[in-house]
Amino acid sequence: MSHSHHMMTNSVDHTSTMPPSHHHPATAASHLHGGGDGNMMMMHMTFYFGYTNVELLFYGLVINTAGEMAGAFVGVFLLAMFYEGLKIAREGLLRKSQVSIRYNSMPVPGPNGTILMETHKTVGQQMLSFPHLLQTVLHIIQVVISYFLMLIFMTYNGYLCIAVAAGAGTGYFLFSWKKAVVVDITEHCH
Amino acid sequence: METHFFFSDKVVLLFDFWDVQSPAGMALSVLVILLLSVLYESIKFGKAKLLHQNLVSMSTCTSQQNEETDQSSSSSSELPPASTPRLRWFLCHFGQSLIHIAQVVIGYFIMLAVMSYNTWIFLGVVLGSAVGYYLAYPLLSIG
Repeated sequence: MSHSHHMMTNSVDHTSTMPPSHHHPATAASHLHGGGDGNMMMMHMTFYFGYTNVELLFYGLVINTAGEMAGAFVGVFLLAMFYEGLKIAREGLLRKSQVSIRYNSMPVPGPNGTILMETHKTVGQQMLSFPHLLQTVLHIIQVVISYFLMLIFMTYNGYLCIAVAAGAGTGYFLFSWKKAVVVDITEHCH
Repeated sequence: METHFFFSDKVVLLFDFWDVQSPAGMALSVLVILLLSVLYESIKFGKAKLLHQNLVSMSTCTSQQNEETDQSSSSSSELPPASTPRLRWFLCHFGQSLIHIAQVVIGYFIMLAVMSYNTWIFLGVVLGSAVGYYLAYPLLSIG
């Protein structure tokens, strides 16, 4: 059975409450029912569809019924939508708050021994200004949410993965619509 | 599951049926993952290029539409002149969203493949990413 060799190499790194003596590949099913104290869950390594005994991100947040799975689906969907919206919002904020544009020119050797002037344009912000601090806070939130979404996808649960993908698509559709129109109007000068 | 990189000819990737036991199977799996990475980079680049193309075509189209409506405003016709570009824009954006979903899903699949901690798979992902990035710009810019 294809799961058997995975059971034997399955370590208890992710369940710190388990003493090593409990670690034995006795059961051949991919769901471990009981057989240990605390948090004895096996990590799936392939996609599956199921709504019993699905652990989600935090200790104690376990899905056991179809209703809870539906709620989790909606929650994950909204989280993925929020992530896409946050990305678009940060881009908009960055564009609006760019205050200083620095040009510096430097001589560059061109063909036939001529000297050309190459001009670099740098757009930046003050380091301690409010827009930059706000961008930093939003960046931290974005990083955390992206890791949460990665961890949710890592549960290999088919329903939750579909929720992530659908939420990302819907969020992109709803939030990037306006952004693309704005880009059209403001950046048409090239 | 090991939590450090190791070399092995055995891996189970993503789905129950993708069970590799032999070096030949491992080589084939690495090739598939490599192509998946190439596809991911191409989608990333292609989406940006598609958006740029559509914006350019939309802006020229809407400017022409505005000129036509100014000229024909005296003789008002039944159908609104802005419906066709809006529908086109809607379809274009819907298509972009589908491509975005594909990009998200493939990205997560590659992440899960790397999570197997198999070094050959990881090298396949890195190489595929490099090849995809290298080929995307010249091949997708033309035409």
